[in-house]
Amino acid sequence: MPEIVSREARLSLLERMLLMRRFEEAVIHAAAKHKYIGRNHLYIGHEGTGAAVMAQLKPGDLAHTTHRNHGHIVGRGADPGRALAEIMGREGGLCGGRGGTWHMTDTSVGFQSTSAMVGGSIGLATGGGFACKQLGQGNVSVALFGDGVLDEGISYEAFNFASQYSLPILFMCENNEKPGRRETSMLAADRLLDIPKALKIHTMTVDGGDVEAVHAAVGEALARIRKDQVPVFIESQIEAWPGSHQHKPEFTTGETDISMAWDTGKITGPHADWIRQEPILRYVRKLLAEKAAAQADIEALDKKVQAKMAKARDFAEASPFPQAEGAILGAFA
Amino acid sequence: MTEKTFAQAMFDALSISMEQDPTISVFGASSFVLGRGLPPADEKAFIAKYTTRLLDPPVSENVLASVGVGSATAGLRPFINFGTSSFAFEAHNQIVNEAGNARYMSGGQLKVPLVYHMFHGIRGIGGAQHSQSPQSMYANCPGLEVVLPATPADAKGLMRTAIRSDNPTLFITHTKLLATKGEVPDGDYAIPFAKGEVKRAGKDVTIVAMSLMVLEALKAADQLKALGIDAEVVDPRTVVPFDAKVVIDSVKKTGRLVILEEASLVCSVASEIAAIVAEQAFEALKGPIIRVGRPHVPMPYSPSLEAFCTPDAAKLVDAVRKLLKK
Repeated sequence: MPEIVSREARLSLLERMLLMRRFEEAVIHAAAKHKYIGRNHLYIGHEGTGAAVMAQLKPGDLAHTTHRNHGHIVGRGADPGRALAEIMGREGGLCGGRGGTWHMTDTSVGFQSTSAMVGGSIGLATGGGFACKQLGQGNVSVALFGDGVLDEGISYEAFNFASQYSLPILFMCENNEKPGRRETSMLAADRLLDIPKALKIHTMTVDGGDVEAVHAAVGEALARIRKDQVPVFIESQIEAWPGSHQHKPEFTTGETDISMAWDTGKITGPHADWIRQEPILRYVRKLLAEKAAAQADIEALDKKVQAKMAKARDFAEASPFPQAEGAILGAFA
Repeated sequence: MTEKTFAQAMFDALSISMEQDPTISVFGASSFVLGRGLPPADEKAFIAKYTTRLLDPPVSENVLASVGVGSATAGLRPFINFGTSSFAFEAHNQIVNEAGNARYMSGGQLKVPLVYHMFHGIRGIGGAQHSQSPQSMYANCPGLEVVLPATPADAKGLMRTAIRSDNPTLFITHTKLLATKGEVPDGDYAIPFAKGEVKRAGKDVTIVAMSLMVLEALKAADQLKALGIDAEVVDPRTVVPFDAKVVIDSVKKTGRLVILEEASLVCSVASEIAAIVAEQAFEALKGPIIRVGRPHVPMPYSPSLEAFCTPDAAKLVDAVRKLLKK
């Protein structure tokens, strides 16, 4: 398995995760301040998966995501100010306020689309994979989606199509099923992996809370996809964020205090168990334990990300709402 | 000019397009025009030439429609044939929510140059699930172009435009038109969208029709002539974008409008045309706008029931005579 060894690469991975986290915190604050809806699906707790995927995509690779997309978009390198402006419905948003949280696209970084239809990304990414194969530039297409997608008929069709035509696609499933609550997928099969496996797709499973493990799995998968021109399915098992609710997220775990990684006495309250093992603090602890970074390095990195997000927030807040008359333009090329 | 069938004309447009543009792939070619009376040598050569670009995909309309969008936004020009239009209902979400919305919701970053082809219409004992005419359903969804050719010459020219369009285009043809013949210009040409054509000039009444109904309207016009009624037949050719001018100009000349539509009239293309004329040329009308279409029931199977529900020249003649009191 390809492992991350350089200190630089490890800190870069952490920085990507921190940007995703601080971005979602900014979304929560902006939503409270401006009283708008449409902030239902935050990426908190998923960072280990998104960062590991986005860090390894190459220029020309195509990404297709789902309603829980904010982390993916900023993780791939979209401007966080323009992404936040889009969520706030502003003219300066990535899509000029036409898409919003559920439909963010940034083709300048190969971020093809967000479909808010359950199963949307999986079909579009299959099309992306077909295009990669026909164009022959060695690129891959990635579908990011939740476990609920396997309830949809299109997942069966997409796996079958991708397998039949041997398409270069990474099916990246973020399984955040919560034990004790209504399952987000209801499969008669024992495991999610049984479905793609039945259609002869190579499958892997990985602990989504361990960013380096995800990185290794994704690295192996991408190498296989590029070399053999085949699809691979990865299930990343994620402990769902306790603030995640169907209709409106609750900021139950508060703003991330990075020092909790080394000052564990600060971790209290009803969600202490989740905080203790959440992917960012977990990775910081690992880097400290392996002496890849000192506390001061971590704090400096977090400050850098926070400063970047402050700028992003200022940009989004300053961006005006789109001119209303423009609404009737742009449906056709 | 050469006399060709509708199927041959569509095949010619597809061949020219594929020759010129290597990014075109065809999904479902075998149920599109192949095997429909083309010269066997042409068909064989076509299949041999494009082995990697002609796909015979699994029976998976849902993902197929989505593959169209995903590959179109990634730089290809897919041509997707669903066969019978009922099958496209399996893919409705992908056509409406993904293809139609992609450009707008990305703020213009994405373009979706893809063609969805399907066969519509009452084909004869097709029953409820193989006789659909879904044009108004698609026309109701922003971001989709809807094309309904009636003649071989139009089919070739409109298909060239559809394939080159940067928008998702629903190319809807009538099963019964495939074997019809007509003069087709040789070589390459394209007919722009939103450019209707007067198929027959007349002064007493305007008949608007598309697809197979144009042929029925022309038949009716011949019968009306014997009764002393000079009918003008107008074919808008595309529903979205729509050429309102060709219809309004004709109504201003004749003062009367009858619209023949093969679908149910509830929220139909005929209804839309009636509304456009009522809004924009009301003063030109000497009488009510009349619509002739199928009743709002699933298409029955039995030939006697089916015939009763099928709009045709005879029903159109009756409607025109009633309107003109002749």
